[in-house]
Amino acid sequence: MAFLQRKREPKTEGTGLVLFQEVQQAMHAEKVLKAASHAVRLVAPPPELRKGCDLAVEVNLTEQPAIERLLRERDVAYISVEPLRIGTAPLLDVVKVTDFGQWVMVRAGNMKITYDKGSGIIVNVSGGGCPDIPYLYAQLVDRPLGDALRPTEIGFTLCALNLERALTECLALHTRGNNS
Amino acid sequence: MMLIAGTVPVEGMPLTMGKALDQGDTIVIGDQRIPCTQGTAAMISAALVTTTYLGLDAPLGLVIGDIGDGKGSRELYRYLIDNVARLLPKVLALHYWLPDMQQTRDLCRAVDKCSRRPVMIADAASMYSAKAARLASAFDIFTPDATEIAFLADAEATHPAYVARHLFETDVTQAPELARTAYRNGNSAKLLLVKGSVDYIIRDGEVLAKVEEPDVPALEAIGGTGDTITGLVAALSYCGLEPHEAAIIAAKANRVAGQFARATPATRVWQIIHQFPGVFRGHLCSWSGVCCTKGENHD
Repeated sequence: MAFLQRKREPKTEGTGLVLFQEVQQAMHAEKVLKAASHAVRLVAPPPELRKGCDLAVEVNLTEQPAIERLLRERDVAYISVEPLRIGTAPLLDVVKVTDFGQWVMVRAGNMKITYDKGSGIIVNVSGGGCPDIPYLYAQLVDRPLGDALRPTEIGFTLCALNLERALTECLALHTRGNNS
Repeated sequence: MMLIAGTVPVEGMPLTMGKALDQGDTIVIGDQRIPCTQGTAAMISAALVTTTYLGLDAPLGLVIGDIGDGKGSRELYRYLIDNVARLLPKVLALHYWLPDMQQTRDLCRAVDKCSRRPVMIADAASMYSAKAARLASAFDIFTPDATEIAFLADAEATHPAYVARHLFETDVTQAPELARTAYRNGNSAKLLLVKGSVDYIIRDGEVLAKVEEPDVPALEAIGGTGDTITGLVAALSYCGLEPHEAAIIAAKANRVAGQFARATPATRVWQIIHQFPGVFRGHLCSWSGVCCTKGENHD
Protein backbone atom coordinates (compact mmCIF):
# COMPACT_ATOMS: atom_id res chain seq x y z
CA MET A 1 0.00 0.00 0.00
CA ALA A 2 2.83 2.34 -0.84
CA PHE A 3 0.45 5.02 -2.08
CA LEU A 4 -0.75 5.51 1.48
CA GLN A 5 2.75 6.55 2.49
CA ARG A 6 3.24 9.00 -0.36
CA LYS A 7 4.95 12.14 0.81
CA ARG A 8 2.46 14.95 1.26
CA GLU A 9 3.13 17.77 -1.18
CA PRO A 10 3.50 21.02 0.72
CA LYS A 11 0.50 23.26 0.19
CA THR A 12 0.51 26.93 0.85
CA GLU A 13 -1.60 30.00 0.75
CA GLY A 14 0.73 32.30 -1.12
CA THR A 15 1.63 35.81 -0.10
CA GLY A 16 3.64 36.75 -3.18
CA LEU A 17 3.65 36.44 -6.97
CA VAL A 18 6.48 35.88 -9.41
CA LEU A 19 5.61 37.68 -12.64
CA PHE A 20 6.85 36.64 -16.10
CA GLN A 21 7.01 37.99 -19.61
CA GLU A 22 6.00 34.66 -21.14
CA VAL A 23 3.73 31.77 -20.13
CA GLN A 24 6.49 29.19 -20.78
CA GLN A 25 8.75 30.96 -18.28
CA ALA A 26 6.06 30.73 -15.61
CA MET A 27 5.53 27.03 -16.25
CA HIS A 28 9.27 26.36 -16.17
CA ALA A 29 9.62 28.33 -12.93
CA GLU A 30 6.84 26.37 -11.29
CA LYS A 31 8.66 23.09 -12.10
CA VAL A 32 12.00 24.39 -10.84
CA LEU A 33 10.53 25.73 -7.60
CA LYS A 34 8.45 22.62 -6.90
CA ALA A 35 11.50 20.42 -7.47
CA ALA A 36 13.22 22.41 -4.72
CA SER A 37 10.29 21.75 -2.35
CA HIS A 38 8.88 25.26 -2.47
CA ALA A 39 5.12 25.32 -2.02
CA VAL A 40 3.98 27.14 -5.19
CA ARG A 41 1.16 27.13 -7.74
CA LEU A 42 0.36 28.65 -11.09
CA VAL A 43 -2.25 31.41 -10.92
CA ALA A 44 -3.59 34.29 -12.98
CA PRO A 45 -2.25 37.52 -11.51
CA PRO A 46 -4.85 40.10 -10.49
CA PRO A 47 -5.14 42.97 -12.99
CA GLU A 48 -3.54 45.43 -10.53
CA LEU A 49 -0.33 43.38 -10.42
CA ARG A 50 -0.20 42.09 -13.97
CA LYS A 51 2.98 42.78 -15.94
CA GLY A 52 3.89 40.70 -18.98
CA CYS A 53 1.89 37.50 -19.45
CA ASP A 54 -1.30 36.40 -17.71
CA LEU A 55 0.26 33.52 -15.81
CA ALA A 56 2.20 33.90 -12.55
CA VAL A 57 3.59 31.67 -9.80
CA GLU A 58 2.14 32.17 -6.34
CA VAL A 59 4.82 31.80 -3.66
CA ASN A 60 5.43 32.34 0.03
CA LEU A 61 6.77 35.90 -0.07
CA THR A 62 8.96 35.26 2.98
CA GLU A 63 11.06 33.00 0.74
CA GLN A 64 11.62 35.73 -1.86
CA PRO A 65 15.45 35.73 -1.64
CA ALA A 66 15.69 31.93 -1.96
CA ILE A 67 13.21 31.90 -4.85
CA GLU A 68 15.00 34.65 -6.76
CA ARG A 69 18.38 32.98 -6.18
CA LEU A 70 17.09 29.65 -7.50
CA LEU A 71 15.50 31.21 -10.59
CA ARG A 72 18.73 33.06 -11.35
CA GLU A 73 20.81 29.89 -10.88
CA ARG A 74 18.51 27.98 -13.27
CA ASP A 75 18.39 30.83 -15.81
CA VAL A 76 14.64 31.21 -15.50
CA ALA A 77 13.77 34.73 -16.61
CA TYR A 78 11.19 36.59 -14.53
CA ILE A 79 10.09 40.19 -14.27
CA SER A 80 9.73 40.64 -10.53
CA VAL A 81 8.45 39.23 -7.26
CA GLU A 82 5.56 41.21 -5.79
CA PRO A 83 3.50 41.01 -2.60
CA LEU A 84 0.10 39.54 -3.40
CA ARG A 85 -1.86 41.96 -1.24
CA ILE A 86 -2.67 45.12 -3.12
CA GLY A 87 -1.41 48.18 -1.26
CA THR A 88 1.59 46.49 0.36
CA ALA A 89 4.46 48.95 0.81
CA PRO A 90 7.70 48.48 -1.14
CA LEU A 91 10.57 46.57 0.50
CA LEU A 92 11.83 48.61 3.41
CA ASP A 93 15.33 50.00 2.88
CA VAL A 94 15.83 52.04 6.06
CA VAL A 95 19.21 51.67 7.79
CA LYS A 96 19.95 53.12 11.23
CA VAL A 97 23.24 53.23 13.14
CA THR A 98 23.63 53.26 16.94
CA ASP A 99 27.00 54.05 18.55
CA PHE A 100 27.69 52.04 21.71
CA GLY A 101 31.22 53.39 22.21
CA GLN A 102 33.38 50.32 21.62
CA TRP A 103 30.69 48.82 19.39
CA VAL A 104 28.40 49.90 16.57
CA MET A 105 24.94 48.47 15.94
CA VAL A 106 23.53 48.72 12.42
CA ARG A 107 19.83 48.08 11.96
CA ALA A 108 18.30 47.36 8.55
CA GLY A 109 14.56 46.84 8.80
CA ASN A 110 13.97 44.24 11.49
CA MET A 111 17.59 42.99 11.62
CA LYS A 112 20.58 44.26 13.60
CA ILE A 113 24.30 43.49 13.48
CA THR A 114 26.68 44.75 16.15
CA TYR A 115 30.45 44.76 15.64
CA ASP A 116 33.53 45.81 17.55
CA LYS A 117 34.86 49.07 16.13
CA GLY A 118 38.51 48.16 16.64
CA SER A 119 38.63 44.58 15.41
CA GLY A 120 35.67 44.63 13.05
CA ILE A 121 34.48 41.37 14.62
CA ILE A 122 30.73 40.75 14.70
CA VAL A 123 29.73 40.36 18.36
CA ASN A 124 25.96 39.95 18.02
CA VAL A 125 23.06 39.57 15.60
CA SER A 126 19.56 40.35 16.81
CA GLY A 127 16.02 40.81 15.55
CA GLY A 128 14.09 38.82 12.98
CA GLY A 129 11.91 35.76 13.27
CA CYS A 130 12.50 33.51 10.27
CA PRO A 131 14.17 30.12 10.69
CA ASP A 132 17.40 31.04 8.91
CA ILE A 133 18.19 33.81 11.39
CA PRO A 134 19.44 31.62 14.26
CA TYR A 135 21.51 29.77 11.63
CA LEU A 136 22.91 33.01 10.27
CA TYR A 137 23.64 34.13 13.83
CA ALA A 138 25.83 31.04 14.24
CA GLN A 139 27.56 31.71 10.92
CA LEU A 140 28.24 35.42 11.49
CA VAL A 141 28.97 35.96 15.18
CA ASP A 142 32.67 36.00 16.15
CA ARG A 143 33.74 36.48 12.53
CA PRO A 144 35.45 39.60 11.14
CA LEU A 145 33.06 41.59 8.96
CA GLY A 146 35.18 40.99 5.88
CA ASP A 147 35.19 37.21 6.33
CA ALA A 148 31.50 36.86 7.09
CA LEU A 149 29.43 34.70 4.76
CA ARG A 150 26.80 36.74 2.92
CA PRO A 151 23.28 36.26 4.31
CA THR A 152 21.68 36.28 0.88
CA GLU A 153 24.01 33.50 -0.28
CA ILE A 154 23.27 31.13 2.60
CA GLY A 155 19.94 32.48 3.89
CA PHE A 156 16.48 32.00 2.46
CA THR A 157 14.11 34.64 3.76
CA LEU A 158 13.28 38.32 3.87
CA CYS A 159 14.90 38.51 7.31
CA ALA A 160 18.13 37.31 5.65
CA LEU A 161 17.74 40.02 3.03
CA ASN A 162 17.58 42.67 5.75
CA LEU A 163 20.57 41.09 7.47
CA GLU A 164 22.48 41.36 4.18
CA ARG A 165 21.69 45.07 4.07
CA ALA A 166 22.89 45.50 7.64
CA LEU A 167 26.12 43.65 6.84
CA THR A 168 26.71 45.75 3.73
CA GLU A 169 26.33 48.92 5.80
CA CYS A 170 28.63 47.56 8.55
CA LEU A 171 31.31 46.81 5.95
CA ALA A 172 30.99 50.26 4.43
CA LEU A 173 31.23 51.96 7.83
CA HIS A 174 34.18 49.89 8.99
CA THR A 175 36.06 50.20 5.71
CA ARG A 176 35.71 53.98 5.80
CA GLY A 177 36.85 53.95 9.41
CA ASN A 178 33.70 55.88 10.11
CA ASN A 179 32.08 53.78 12.77
CA SER A 180 29.14 55.94 13.65
CA MET B 1 2.13 21.04 30.56
CA MET B 2 3.78 23.94 28.78
CA LEU B 3 4.73 23.22 25.18
CA ILE B 4 7.24 25.43 23.35
CA ALA B 5 7.57 24.73 19.64
CA GLY B 6 9.98 26.12 17.09
CA THR B 7 12.84 25.45 14.74
CA VAL B 8 16.51 25.34 15.74
CA PRO B 9 19.55 26.01 13.54
CA VAL B 10 20.86 22.44 13.53
CA GLU B 11 20.83 21.16 9.97
CA GLY B 12 19.09 17.81 9.61
CA MET B 13 18.02 17.53 13.25
CA PRO B 14 14.88 15.36 13.37
CA LEU B 15 11.65 16.39 15.05
CA THR B 16 12.34 15.97 18.74
CA MET B 17 10.10 16.40 21.76
CA GLY B 18 11.08 16.15 25.41
CA LYS B 19 11.51 17.92 28.72
CA ALA B 20 14.24 20.53 28.41
CA LEU B 21 17.42 20.27 30.49
CA ASP B 22 19.78 23.18 31.15
CA GLN B 23 23.48 22.56 30.58
CA GLY B 24 25.01 26.00 30.75
CA ASP B 25 25.33 27.40 27.25
CA THR B 26 23.43 24.42 25.84
CA ILE B 27 19.99 22.91 26.34
CA VAL B 28 19.24 19.23 25.93
CA ILE B 29 15.95 17.96 24.53
CA GLY B 30 15.65 14.22 24.07
CA ASP B 31 19.03 13.15 22.77
CA GLN B 32 19.72 16.48 21.07
CA ARG B 33 22.09 19.17 22.37
CA ILE B 34 21.14 22.63 21.15
CA PRO B 35 23.33 25.73 21.60
CA CYS B 36 21.56 28.34 23.71
CA THR B 37 21.78 31.16 21.21
CA GLN B 38 19.23 33.47 19.61
CA GLY B 39 15.90 31.83 18.82
CA THR B 40 13.84 28.96 20.14
CA ALA B 41 16.67 27.66 22.35
CA ALA B 42 16.92 30.98 24.21
CA MET B 43 13.17 31.02 24.70
CA ILE B 44 13.06 27.46 26.04
CA SER B 45 16.05 28.11 28.27
CA ALA B 46 14.48 31.22 29.83
CA ALA B 47 11.26 29.32 30.44
CA LEU B 48 13.23 26.44 31.94
CA VAL B 49 15.15 28.49 34.51
CA THR B 50 11.83 30.07 35.52
CA THR B 51 9.98 26.79 35.98
CA THR B 52 12.98 25.38 37.84
CA TYR B 53 12.95 28.34 40.19
CA LEU B 54 9.22 28.01 40.74
CA GLY B 55 9.37 24.26 41.25
CA LEU B 56 7.20 23.53 38.24
CA ASP B 57 7.71 20.84 35.64
CA ALA B 58 10.13 21.75 32.89
CA PRO B 59 8.80 23.00 29.55
CA LEU B 60 8.23 20.39 26.90
CA GLY B 61 10.30 21.42 23.89
CA LEU B 62 9.13 20.47 20.41
CA VAL B 63 11.97 21.34 18.04
CA ILE B 64 13.30 20.45 14.61
CA GLY B 65 16.29 21.52 12.55
CA ASP B 66 15.59 24.14 9.90
CA ILE B 67 18.23 26.46 8.49
CA GLY B 68 15.63 28.42 6.56
CA ASP B 69 14.49 26.24 3.68
CA GLY B 70 11.23 25.51 5.49
CA LYS B 71 11.39 21.70 5.39
CA GLY B 72 11.65 21.35 9.16
CA SER B 73 9.02 24.04 9.64
CA ARG B 74 6.48 22.14 7.55
CA GLU B 75 7.07 18.96 9.55
CA LEU B 76 6.68 20.88 12.79
CA TYR B 77 3.40 22.47 11.71
CA ARG B 78 2.08 19.08 10.62
CA TYR B 79 3.01 17.40 13.91
CA LEU B 80 1.37 20.14 15.95
CA ILE B 81 -1.79 20.13 13.82
CA ASP B 82 -2.09 16.36 14.17
CA ASN B 83 -1.24 16.15 17.87
CA VAL B 84 -2.13 19.34 19.75
CA ALA B 85 -5.51 18.00 20.87
CA ARG B 86 -3.83 14.88 22.26
CA LEU B 87 -0.98 16.76 23.93
CA LEU B 88 -3.43 19.30 25.38
CA PRO B 89 -0.88 21.82 26.68
CA LYS B 90 -1.91 24.41 29.26
CA VAL B 91 0.37 26.92 27.52
CA LEU B 92 1.35 26.67 23.84
CA ALA B 93 4.18 29.02 22.89
CA LEU B 94 5.11 29.18 19.21
CA HIS B 95 8.35 30.62 17.95
CA TYR B 96 10.70 30.49 14.94
CA TRP B 97 9.48 28.76 11.79
CA LEU B 98 8.86 29.60 8.16
CA PRO B 99 5.64 31.62 8.27
CA ASP B 100 2.89 29.81 6.41
CA MET B 101 -0.68 31.05 6.44
CA GLN B 102 -2.35 27.81 5.39
CA GLN B 103 -0.58 25.76 8.05
CA THR B 104 -1.33 28.41 10.66
CA ARG B 105 -5.02 28.26 9.78
CA ASP B 106 -4.96 24.47 10.11
CA LEU B 107 -3.20 24.74 13.46
CA CYS B 108 -5.72 27.24 14.83
CA ARG B 109 -8.54 24.94 13.72
CA ALA B 110 -6.85 22.07 15.56
CA VAL B 111 -6.49 24.21 18.70
CA ASP B 112 -10.19 25.09 18.49
CA LYS B 113 -10.94 21.38 18.79
CA CYS B 114 -8.94 20.97 22.03
CA SER B 115 -11.11 20.01 25.00
CA ARG B 116 -9.36 22.78 26.97
CA ARG B 117 -7.98 25.77 25.12
CA PRO B 118 -4.29 26.48 25.81
CA VAL B 119 -2.92 29.94 26.52
CA MET B 120 -1.66 30.77 23.02
CA ILE B 121 1.58 32.77 22.78
CA ALA B 122 3.40 33.70 19.58
CA ASP B 123 6.66 35.49 18.90
CA ALA B 124 8.93 35.77 15.86
CA ALA B 125 7.65 34.20 12.63
CA SER B 126 4.77 32.36 14.29
CA MET B 127 3.46 35.85 15.07
CA TYR B 128 4.10 36.89 11.44
CA SER B 129 2.08 33.96 10.11
CA ALA B 130 -0.76 34.49 12.59
CA LYS B 131 -1.06 38.13 11.53
CA ALA B 132 -0.72 37.36 7.82
CA ALA B 133 -3.46 34.74 8.12
CA ARG B 134 -5.63 37.30 9.94
CA LEU B 135 -5.73 35.03 12.98
CA ALA B 136 -3.98 37.31 15.46
CA SER B 137 -7.04 37.60 17.67
CA ALA B 138 -6.97 33.83 18.20
CA PHE B 139 -3.82 34.35 20.27
CA ASP B 140 -3.63 35.45 23.89
CA ILE B 141 -0.18 37.06 23.81
CA PHE B 142 2.15 38.46 21.14
CA THR B 143 5.57 39.81 22.06
CA PRO B 144 6.58 42.14 19.19
CA ASP B 145 9.60 44.42 19.19
CA ALA B 146 9.47 47.99 17.87
CA THR B 147 9.72 46.86 14.23
CA GLU B 148 7.16 44.15 14.68
CA ILE B 149 4.53 46.42 16.24
CA ALA B 150 4.81 48.53 13.07
CA PHE B 151 4.30 45.32 11.10
CA LEU B 152 1.17 44.49 13.12
CA ALA B 153 -0.12 48.02 12.51
CA ASP B 154 0.37 47.74 8.74
CA ALA B 155 -2.86 46.22 7.47
CA GLU B 156 -1.33 44.71 4.33
CA ALA B 157 2.21 43.62 5.22
CA THR B 158 2.74 39.88 5.49
CA HIS B 159 6.37 40.21 6.67
CA PRO B 160 8.19 43.01 8.55
CA ALA B 161 10.43 43.60 5.52
CA TYR B 162 7.40 45.05 3.72
CA VAL B 163 6.25 47.46 6.43
CA ALA B 164 5.23 50.95 5.28
CA ARG B 165 8.09 53.35 5.87
CA HIS B 166 6.02 55.88 7.82
CA LEU B 167 5.04 53.18 10.33
CA PHE B 168 8.55 51.79 10.61
CA GLU B 169 10.08 55.18 11.30
CA THR B 170 7.91 55.92 14.33
CA ASP B 171 9.72 55.81 17.66
CA VAL B 172 8.86 53.53 20.54
CA THR B 173 6.70 56.15 22.26
CA GLN B 174 4.22 55.70 19.43
CA ALA B 175 3.89 51.98 20.13
CA PRO B 176 0.52 52.50 21.88
CA GLU B 177 -0.93 54.18 18.79
CA LEU B 178 0.44 51.43 16.53
CA ALA B 179 -1.02 48.84 18.90
CA ARG B 180 -4.43 50.52 18.76
CA THR B 181 -4.28 50.45 14.96
CA ALA B 182 -3.33 46.78 14.99
CA TYR B 183 -6.17 46.03 17.40
CA ARG B 184 -8.73 47.95 15.31
CA ASN B 185 -7.66 45.99 12.23
CA GLY B 186 -7.90 42.64 14.02
CA ASN B 187 -4.13 42.19 13.81
CA SER B 188 -3.38 42.07 17.53
CA ALA B 189 -3.40 39.29 20.06
CA LYS B 190 -5.48 39.99 23.15
CA LEU B 191 -2.34 41.13 24.98
CA LEU B 192 0.76 42.69 23.50
CA LEU B 193 4.10 43.01 25.21
CA VAL B 194 5.95 45.49 23.01
CA LYS B 195 9.69 45.13 23.64
CA GLY B 196 11.86 48.20 23.30
CA SER B 197 13.66 50.95 25.17
CA VAL B 198 10.28 51.27 26.87
CA ASP B 199 8.28 48.05 27.17
CA TYR B 200 4.53 48.46 26.81
CA ILE B 201 1.93 46.01 28.06
CA ILE B 202 -1.23 46.60 26.05
CA ARG B 203 -4.55 44.76 26.31
CA ASP B 204 -7.28 45.13 23.70
CA GLY B 205 -5.52 48.20 22.34
CA GLU B 206 -5.20 49.99 25.70
CA VAL B 207 -1.94 50.49 27.63
CA LEU B 208 -2.01 48.70 31.00
CA ALA B 209 1.58 49.37 32.00
CA LYS B 210 4.95 50.50 30.77
CA VAL B 211 8.32 49.32 32.03
CA GLU B 212 11.39 51.46 31.46
CA GLU B 213 13.70 50.78 34.40
CA PRO B 214 16.41 49.77 34.67
CA ASP B 215 17.49 51.15 31.30
CA VAL B 216 19.98 48.71 29.72
CA PRO B 217 20.38 49.86 26.09
CA ALA B 218 22.83 47.05 25.25
CA LEU B 219 20.02 44.50 25.48
CA GLU B 220 18.76 45.58 22.06
CA ALA B 221 21.99 44.44 20.45
CA ILE B 222 22.11 41.03 22.14
CA GLY B 223 20.59 38.32 19.99
CA GLY B 224 17.95 36.40 21.94
CA THR B 225 16.95 38.95 24.58
CA GLY B 226 13.52 39.25 22.99
CA ASP B 227 13.24 35.47 22.98
CA THR B 228 14.01 35.35 26.70
CA ILE B 229 11.15 37.75 27.45
CA THR B 230 8.75 35.47 25.59
CA GLY B 231 10.08 32.44 27.46
CA LEU B 232 9.54 34.26 30.75
CA VAL B 233 6.00 35.23 29.76
CA ALA B 234 5.23 31.62 28.85
CA ALA B 235 6.58 30.23 32.12
CA LEU B 236 4.90 32.87 34.28
CA SER B 237 1.58 32.30 32.50
CA TYR B 238 2.05 28.59 33.11
CA CYS B 239 2.51 29.21 36.82
CA GLY B 240 -0.95 30.77 36.90
CA LEU B 241 -0.37 34.49 36.58
CA GLU B 242 -2.72 36.49 34.41
CA PRO B 243 -1.17 37.29 31.01
CA HIS B 244 -0.70 40.97 31.81
CA GLU B 245 0.94 40.16 35.16
CA ALA B 246 3.25 37.68 33.44
CA ALA B 247 4.15 40.27 30.81
CA ILE B 248 4.96 43.02 33.32
CA ILE B 249 7.16 40.74 35.40
CA ALA B 250 8.89 39.34 32.31
CA ALA B 251 9.74 42.83 31.09
CA LYS B 252 11.13 43.82 34.49
CA ALA B 253 13.05 40.58 34.98
CA ASN B 254 14.75 40.79 31.59
CA ARG B 255 15.97 44.32 32.30
CA VAL B 256 17.23 43.49 35.78
CA ALA B 257 18.97 40.38 34.44
CA GLY B 258 20.73 42.60 31.90
CA GLN B 259 21.81 44.88 34.71
CA PHE B 260 23.01 41.95 36.86
CA ALA B 261 25.02 40.61 33.90
CA ARG B 262 26.53 44.07 33.31
CA ALA B 263 25.42 43.56 29.74
CA THR B 264 27.40 45.03 26.86
CA PRO B 265 26.56 44.67 23.17
CA ALA B 266 28.98 41.72 23.13
CA THR B 267 27.23 39.78 25.92
CA ARG B 268 25.68 36.43 24.95
CA VAL B 269 22.09 35.63 25.75
CA TRP B 270 22.87 32.64 27.98
CA GLN B 271 24.76 35.03 30.26
CA ILE B 272 21.53 36.97 30.69
CA ILE B 273 19.44 33.84 31.20
CA HIS B 274 21.64 32.64 34.03
CA GLN B 275 20.88 35.81 35.98
CA PHE B 276 17.16 35.04 36.22
CA PRO B 277 17.29 32.93 39.42
CA GLY B 278 19.06 35.80 41.21
CA VAL B 279 16.56 38.29 39.79
CA PHE B 280 13.67 36.14 41.02
CA ARG B 281 15.20 35.71 44.47
CA GLY B 282 15.56 39.44 44.78
CA HIS B 283 12.34 40.67 43.21
CA LEU B 284 9.71 38.10 42.29
CA CYS B 285 7.97 38.13 45.65
CA SER B 286 7.53 41.90 45.65
CA TRP B 287 6.61 42.03 41.96
CA SER B 288 4.09 39.21 41.94
CA GLY B 289 3.27 37.89 45.39
CA VAL B 290 4.80 34.54 44.36
CA CYS B 291 6.87 34.27 47.54
CA CYS B 292 6.99 30.63 48.53
CA THR B 293 7.44 27.77 46.12
CA LYS B 294 8.84 24.28 46.19
CA GLY B 295 11.54 25.29 43.74
CA GLU B 296 14.97 26.82 43.92
CA ASN B 297 13.88 29.82 45.97
CA HIS B 298 12.70 27.64 48.83
CA ASP B 299 15.76 28.02 51.07
